[in-house]
Amino acid sequence: MTDGAIELTGVGKRYWQIKERSLLRSLIPFGGPNRTHLWALRDVDLRIDKGETVGIIGSNGAGKSTLLRLLAGVSQPTTGRLTIRGRIAPLLSVGVGFHPEMTGRENVLVNGMLLGLSKADIRARFDEIVAFADLCTFIDTPVKFYSTGMYMRLGFSVAIHVAPDVLIVDEVLAVGDVAFQLRCLNRMRDLQAAGTTIVFVSHHMHAVHLLCPRTVVLHRSRVEHDGQTEAAIARYHQLLATADDQDPDAPVRVLLRELLLADGTAVDDVEQDQTLTYRMTVRFDKPVDGPGILFRVVGDDGTLAYSMQTSIGELWRSYAVGDEATVLVSFRPRLGGGGTFHVNVAVTDDYGTVLASDPNGPSFYVPPRYGVGGVADLEATITVDGQTRTNHRWARIGDEALSAELPSGGGRLKG
Amino acid sequence: MTDSTPTLSLDHRPGPLFAWLAGLWRFRGVLLALSRKDFQVRYKRATLGVLWSAALPLLQSTVLVFIFSRVGDFGTGRSFSYAGYVLAGMVPWVFVSTSIGASTTSIVEASGLTDKVWFPRAILALVPPCANTIMLATSTVILLIGLPLIGVPPALRLLLLVPAALLAIAFSAAFGMLLAALYVYFRDLKFLVQAVLLVWLYVTPVVYPPAELGPAGRWLDWNPLTGITGMFQSAAVGSPFPSVRALLVSVLATLGLGAIGVLVHRHHDRLFVDLL
Repeated sequence: MTDGAIELTGVGKRYWQIKERSLLRSLIPFGGPNRTHLWALRDVDLRIDKGETVGIIGSNGAGKSTLLRLLAGVSQPTTGRLTIRGRIAPLLSVGVGFHPEMTGRENVLVNGMLLGLSKADIRARFDEIVAFADLCTFIDTPVKFYSTGMYMRLGFSVAIHVAPDVLIVDEVLAVGDVAFQLRCLNRMRDLQAAGTTIVFVSHHMHAVHLLCPRTVVLHRSRVEHDGQTEAAIARYHQLLATADDQDPDAPVRVLLRELLLADGTAVDDVEQDQTLTYRMTVRFDKPVDGPGILFRVVGDDGTLAYSMQTSIGELWRSYAVGDEATVLVSFRPRLGGGGTFHVNVAVTDDYGTVLASDPNGPSFYVPPRYGVGGVADLEATITVDGQTRTNHRWARIGDEALSAELPSGGGRLKG
Repeated sequence: MTDSTPTLSLDHRPGPLFAWLAGLWRFRGVLLALSRKDFQVRYKRATLGVLWSAALPLLQSTVLVFIFSRVGDFGTGRSFSYAGYVLAGMVPWVFVSTSIGASTTSIVEASGLTDKVWFPRAILALVPPCANTIMLATSTVILLIGLPLIGVPPALRLLLLVPAALLAIAFSAAFGMLLAALYVYFRDLKFLVQAVLLVWLYVTPVVYPPAELGPAGRWLDWNPLTGITGMFQSAAVGSPFPSVRALLVSVLATLGLGAIGVLVHRHHDRLFVDLL
């Protein structure tokens, strides 16, 4: 077939932001224009062939969600044309239409039908769906009694049993435990092998790397890069680091900032427990007495992983207009579940008011510890009947585990 | 499954009308599944389930019969049972008003769904009338049981309940579909609908036979519900059949609202989600 599975030509999407959505307001015009618009996507040309797996990355607000909505057929483009050949399974969230009061069985029916299956299809695949979800006897229990893991497994199981030609996946791997994530990845690899076209949107750079040979970077509503995944991820990190969102009136300007290894080389892909140095040069455009520093590491989803602030009025000298200062922050990422993190350093005055902030400071990717989730690393040790499992070994999801069907938990078994 | 690969092709224009209608038909299973879910969820915890839904028209009728036969002089001097008349009018009224009210907010309230998967949004607006049909059936059965108890013997005219019920369902579906689409754009519509429903009960011949208002009663023919409630009442207690004009207004309003609803939905089906 010469036609691509997914073709977008000159696709743009404009959203109207309507201030007041009222009948009264539209009949009696008063108080200036009621709506403004915003281009969430512009001039997107994209062609994905049958059987290809393509990753889509970009910072929040780059247009990923809009592109997904268009690909899922939920919304229509304002300009250009979009063509998708084959049965689409949009997996934009797990368990669409699940109602807590209904049993797993009833929810599978509604969810399956929403994903485009017929009642007969669902009946034919029902046992397989339940088996993959690993629910045992809970299928006739209302899903409100399910654990998060069970809920996710059931939702994901329905979606992959739709047997789609085109699978559109959004951040599903960000939820659930590591075992579940691996299972999803494995299953997606099966689908890949079976010739399913997959569009994979994620903040999880490592998953993108594992799954997608080709990746598209979206930046400010446009396609910034389309090609090999390594280059795409590098471009993405570069964009995050160079995005200049500084307030032009800020009294302190950030001139330079970088993330360095101990040997002075710049990095964005680091190991757990590795010593890193963040270096920032600022220039004062107003005199400041005793500035303070606020250091933060923020996850890709906005969660604060760590922060440290110098005590107000502590140890710093006074700076005059035109003075420059160099800030060095040395730290060791011990971030259990890993992921992409952003370093954010702010200069404050002696009352703690932020004078200059670096919202798009350098970011780094750190692989998860084996079998560990969450931001913190509590260095847990689990002992069952004398058998102890620790998590002192660092490992990347997938490198070894993906070759095995499911991880046996990782780490070492002692005793 | 068919052999031909389904192709989705989208640009800024709305899709063809037949494709929209075909989509509606293709997703009929979703309508049934969502309606069943709606119904199940609503009565899951109530042991008597459906009976509660039927109790509402009964209770409302009892109150109205009591008030109107005491305060007004509506209760006497008539060839048919007044209590039966009110009950028969209340059955379609409760169905239509609750369905329309629920349909209005249906698309907006399902934003968690519409954001993730595509199916014709009109399905969401059709869920309340579809789910409430069980309530309509139950209250009709209660009506059939209740009529002999208040002294109205069963007769062949009861068969009229079938077309009457179909018209009530069609009208609710048509109007609900249009209101659901408009509510996406105009969020104050909810209050407007509630206000209109409040007044609508009293300009619909539910508690009084239109003939008894004299010449003013003819104006009620322009209310599309007059034909619907009139058919229910005529079937149940043998009150005068609604006029041809009232019936025409009911049927034409249903068709007209349905047609406008279909056109609006076809144009905006994939745009609603942008405004949720």
